Amino acid sequence: MKTRFLFPYWCRYLGWGLVIAHVPLTIIARHHGMDIEDGPGTQALFTGNHLFFMCTALLMTTGLFLVAFAKEKIEDEQIWQIRLDSLRWAIYLNYLILIIGLVFINDTGHILELNLWVPLLFFIVRFRWIILRLTRSLSREN
Amino acid sequence: MDYSSSHPIFKQGELIMKNNIRVERAIKNITQGELAEQVNVSRQTINSIESNRYVPSTILALKIAHVFGKPLEEIFALEDGD
Repeated sequence: MKTRFLFPYWCRYLGWGLVIAHVPLTIIARHHGMDIEDGPGTQALFTGNHLFFMCTALLMTTGLFLVAFAKEKIEDEQIWQIRLDSLRWAIYLNYLILIIGLVFINDTGHILELNLWVPLLFFIVRFRWIILRLTRSLSREN
Repeated sequence: MDYSSSHPIFKQGELIMKNNIRVERAIKNITQGELAEQVNVSRQTINSIESNRYVPSTILALKIAHVFGKPLEEIFALEDGD
């Protein structure tokens, strides 16, 4: 089956690597983040905080993106269908959270942050879960 | 092919597609894995099709029929869902 717009299989491991690499960075940031002076204009771009946030967010998002859209070992039409179905659910959930967030939270920054990883993470979890179930039912029958 | 009016495709309810791949496999004496390899899909997909959890595309259905050397409708058939 022709699969365009998917990353090669090994990208999954690279993706997880990036996601894992982002964790200690964020923890360090939470502990020492206060040290980084932002200067008077907190809206300014490319200050210490902004750069740091950008780097960690980029690491995590790129990582999740690679994991989500890396090919399976055998990428066939059933996998493709599960992929699309999971993507649909991820979009549903994302917009549900977005709408609830817009109504009840007056903090667009955090809503954006949520928006960054909710669809990807939910997609990955749902996709992997369905595939796990398929593999389980396969081993149960054999 | 002759469809009498009692054929499932004329009924209102939902239709499901049944298949006898498992039987055909037994006749030909090949495993799920071997069939999967021949039609270029994963074993999970063949297993899902056999247990009617996944309806294959026409292309895949034709490939499977080709492996067994039989016409499509001897392997796949519509049935009443209810």
